[in-house]
Amino acid sequence: MIELFDVTKRFGSEVAVDGISLRVETGELCALVGTSGCGKSTTLSMINRLIEHDGGEIHLDGQPVRSFDEVALRRRIGYVIQSTGLFPHWTVARNIGLVPRLLKWPKGRVRERVEELMQLLGLPVAEFADKYPRQLSGGQAQRVGVARALAADPDILLMDEPFGALDPITRETLQHELRELQARLHKTIVFVTHDMDEALALADRLVVMHQGRIVQQGKPIALLHDPVNPFVESLLGGMDRGLKEAALIQVGERMLPLGPRLLASERIAYGASLSQALSVMLWHQVDRLTVVDEEDIPIGELSLRRLLGAKAS
Amino acid sequence: MGEGRVSPNWVVLSLMLACLAAWLILDAVSVAPNRIVPGSAYAALEIMSGWPALLLTAPMLAVVVLAWRPDQQRLKLALATTVLLLALLPLWLSAATAVLVEPSMPQARVGIGPSLWLLLFLLLLVLIELRTRLALSRSMGWCLLLPMIVSWWLSLALWLEPLALQREYQARSAQFTSALTMHLVLVGAAVAASLVLAALLALAMRRHAGIRRAGFGVLNFLQTIPSLALFGLLLAPLAWLGTHVDWLAAIGVSGIGWAPAFLALLGYSLLPMVRNIHVALEEVDPAVIESARGMGMSRRQVFLQVRLPLALPIVIEGIRITTVQAIGLTAVAALIGAGGLGTFIFQGLGQAAMDMVLLGALPIIVMALFADALFGSLSERLRQGGTA
Ligand SMILES: Nc1ncnc2c1ncn2[C@@H]1O[C@H](COP(=O)(O)OP(=O)(O)O)[C@@H](O)[C@H]1O
Ligand SMILES: [Mg+2]
Repeated sequence: MIELFDVTKRFGSEVAVDGISLRVETGELCALVGTSGCGKSTTLSMINRLIEHDGGEIHLDGQPVRSFDEVALRRRIGYVIQSTGLFPHWTVARNIGLVPRLLKWPKGRVRERVEELMQLLGLPVAEFADKYPRQLSGGQAQRVGVARALAADPDILLMDEPFGALDPITRETLQHELRELQARLHKTIVFVTHDMDEALALADRLVVMHQGRIVQQGKPIALLHDPVNPFVESLLGGMDRGLKEAALIQVGERMLPLGPRLLASERIAYGASLSQALSVMLWHQVDRLTVVDEEDIPIGELSLRRLLGAKAS
Repeated sequence: MGEGRVSPNWVVLSLMLACLAAWLILDAVSVAPNRIVPGSAYAALEIMSGWPALLLTAPMLAVVVLAWRPDQQRLKLALATTVLLLALLPLWLSAATAVLVEPSMPQARVGIGPSLWLLLFLLLLVLIELRTRLALSRSMGWCLLLPMIVSWWLSLALWLEPLALQREYQARSAQFTSALTMHLVLVGAAVAASLVLAALLALAMRRHAGIRRAGFGVLNFLQTIPSLALFGLLLAPLAWLGTHVDWLAAIGVSGIGWAPAFLALLGYSLLPMVRNIHVALEEVDPAVIESARGMGMSRRQVFLQVRLPLALPIVIEGIRITTVQAIGLTAVAALIGAGGLGTFIFQGLGQAAMDMVLLGALPIIVMALFADALFGSLSERLRQGGTA
């Protein structure tokens, strides 16, 4: 659990973070969003003390971060940044094994852990272990970055726009993988991004920042429905909010069992989102879809009425 | 191969045509009956027409033809031919010497003419171009010079006794060895001392902005003083020290000699060294440093395991620049009695004995090229494993 109590940071006369209070529960993924320069990275870096806070307190599991040795503290916290920050003169395997080696794990255990993580992140050991960072694509490099952050199995993960430099397709793949990873590992994650779709797709808790303050926080759906002011509303997509919400709801949640009618000719996967379902309807100009499971077997149907009824229920 | 026609390699082509022209037109060798009398010069064809002339002309023409449609195979052939040409030069010179120098002239001196110098220079350029085209490694490049070196060594040992350069060397071989040693010691000491000092200075500069400004100001100023003037400036204080401080006098410090030379060399070496070390350390990607700290490396670990290794190629680049510069400057230091190979250059100039000048200048050039290549490849190798 990470708690910030009235935390402030000034750079000279400029107040970068202005009295922030925030609580990230254990196992929760908290996304910090906001326009660039609003203090997201500063907030993140104060948690692992790369930047020292000027006022307020930051606690990890009830202990103030200042009570820890800063180097020891950072070894307990995974850290991923946009430009990966991989050491260009070290191989992939050596990069991933960095923190375990700093913690003086025995050699064999480090190697095992590195191989385990490479497998976990879809990096075949034989192919990638001895490569240098410059030989990797952007997506591969960031996978290595995530593996390195996870190496010593930290409870807390700080991620500063980790997928910001990737192309949209790679970004979505990595978001998906992160979600699956999180479902298994239950880390406490603070995730900075300025991509609202990314934040909505990943976050358990969404925190909107503006000029060093928190303007609103809560569950993504709650923020979509009740933005406190026009700034949050426009940040969340303005008129697109309906589609953004639809993107968060699975077809499976809205479908009805197969009825007596003929199967609709167009199909949609059970796990697809309502916005995708709507897109298929628009494209084929139909108001009814057959819902199928992973094996493409019809298991239900979704009508436009049901789809629109999403909000009512 | 089934591909379309390749366009000519104009670099090799024009270099080789220049070789041919130099070979056919310019004077290749000069002969003088002794050291005093000016010699008479001969072009290659004047000395030996017929097959010995063809011996070199034919390979040159062959390279020209090969460079016209240079596929991989032909480039390799051209390279082999160029290596052969370089090895043939001393052999041809030996033959020419045998023809020109009769047994009745025991004092005769054979000088190398502009044609041969040019040929040597142009052929080396061709070699570099072909090595680059064929993407051969640096070490392979060195191997390509081996036949030439062996051939020169053989010729000098067996047949080229009348070569003026050789005669100059034999007349003062002990002096040559000590001058060479002195030169190397001065360069080595100046570079090593400046490396240590520069590292300390650069580290201090990273800590304090004040030291950085002042340091670069002084070093930049030092660099603008002409070397002779700097020797002059050092003369008075060192002479004073030499006469007033006993232990300094005991190790040979005086207004002239090795002490002012060493100090001046150190002064000049400091700027490029400090600048490179400073830039190298500063320019390491801040994101890499941030992540190193974020992962929980201590300051010391960040410096030793990340910043320093990433800076090393540029530091070595600084050593390269400094060494090459010091090799040249040490030649000038001979003027204030520091010894070194410059002694031959200035004595030779004084006596208008060009061969003696060469005896000093040639090793200096070779040393500079060697240092350049050595540190260049070291820096490149470190860079390959690491940055970029
Ligand atoms: N090291 C620093 N020195 C001075 N100002 C800084 C520093 N880091 C951040 N700032 C300033 O603090 C504000 C917040 O920055 P940051 O947290 O990086 O924003 P974000 O990550 O939301 O884009 C910005 O105005 C930025 O200019
Ligand atoms: Mg930022």
